[in-house]
Amino acid sequence: MSERREFFRRVAAAAVGAEPPPPDPWLERYSRQLVLPEWSEAAQRALGDASVLVVGAGALGSPVATYLAGAGVGRLGIVDDGDVELSNLHRQHLHFTPDVGVPKAHSAAAKLGFLNPDVVIEPYPASFTAAMVDGQDLVVDCTDSFEARYAVNAACCAAGVALVEAGVIGTSGLVMAILPGETACYRCAFPQAPPPGATPTCAQAGVLGPAAGVVGSLQALEALKLLAGLPGVLTDAFLQIDLAAHDFLRVAVRRRDDCPDCAGA
Amino acid sequence: MLDVTDLTCPMTWVRTKLELERIAPGEALEVRCREGEALENVPRSAAEAGHDVQVTGAVVRIVRR
Repeated sequence: MSERREFFRRVAAAAVGAEPPPPDPWLERYSRQLVLPEWSEAAQRALGDASVLVVGAGALGSPVATYLAGAGVGRLGIVDDGDVELSNLHRQHLHFTPDVGVPKAHSAAAKLGFLNPDVVIEPYPASFTAAMVDGQDLVVDCTDSFEARYAVNAACCAAGVALVEAGVIGTSGLVMAILPGETACYRCAFPQAPPPGATPTCAQAGVLGPAAGVVGSLQALEALKLLAGLPGVLTDAFLQIDLAAHDFLRVAVRRRDDCPDCAGA
Repeated sequence: MLDVTDLTCPMTWVRTKLELERIAPGEALEVRCREGEALENVPRSAAEAGHDVQVTGAVVRIVRR
């Protein structure tokens, strides 16, 4: 089939004269970000040299990993110990109906490999451990509980690895970028988890797919800013997002001297 | 001399922009463009980016800011 297609392509090319040289695939793939005034070849190369760990391949992890892979991050680790469930599909766009029952890390890695074969995708179908943070340039926390976010925050603070936190529930969300030792961490902003039962979990409250898409996209954008060295990173603050009312509120946060996670960072 | 006559927008500007990133401020880059869209857009994009631009025929001379 491909031989026939090649034959007809040559016939067509001969009919219209010499073909233009093929475009450089690297330039072409990243052209719409390279063309931006704030982007550069150096920014693109920095992205290509970066290792990023995405913790959670669900509602936030789907847009985060999709945009980071598409943008050309060199190495992308995907951590998730769950399997794809039918109830995930409305908001976790890296997983499709035939993936139900497949480990999310593998399901996500397969799609990301199709999206951008330049990216080294490393699926980890396992629970997050602090050791996974070692050697990463950036961690993006796409988990869905306070305990999990505290664990990722503590690991990143201990290892001095930049982090982008986020959470989403219903039609609300939150995004925060963290440079351990320099800017306020997640625990500086939220020293204590709400008492059990005070906040609904994702499973109890539900999430509208596009809300997770918005929050995850903001998270991916902060990650790209950090990786490319762009200004305007959302540090020492979090963005509180209420999509029912179309409210975006930037809340300033200060480092806490007594923060158990980052005071020693 | 950078020749972008076989490219279309925005690749014409992408190639030009990347070449400009490789030269020092004050240095000049000459870009040969195809008549029409490229010869209109490359100088305009260069000027918008703050560079000094001079067009002679189909050649755009850009001095990096």
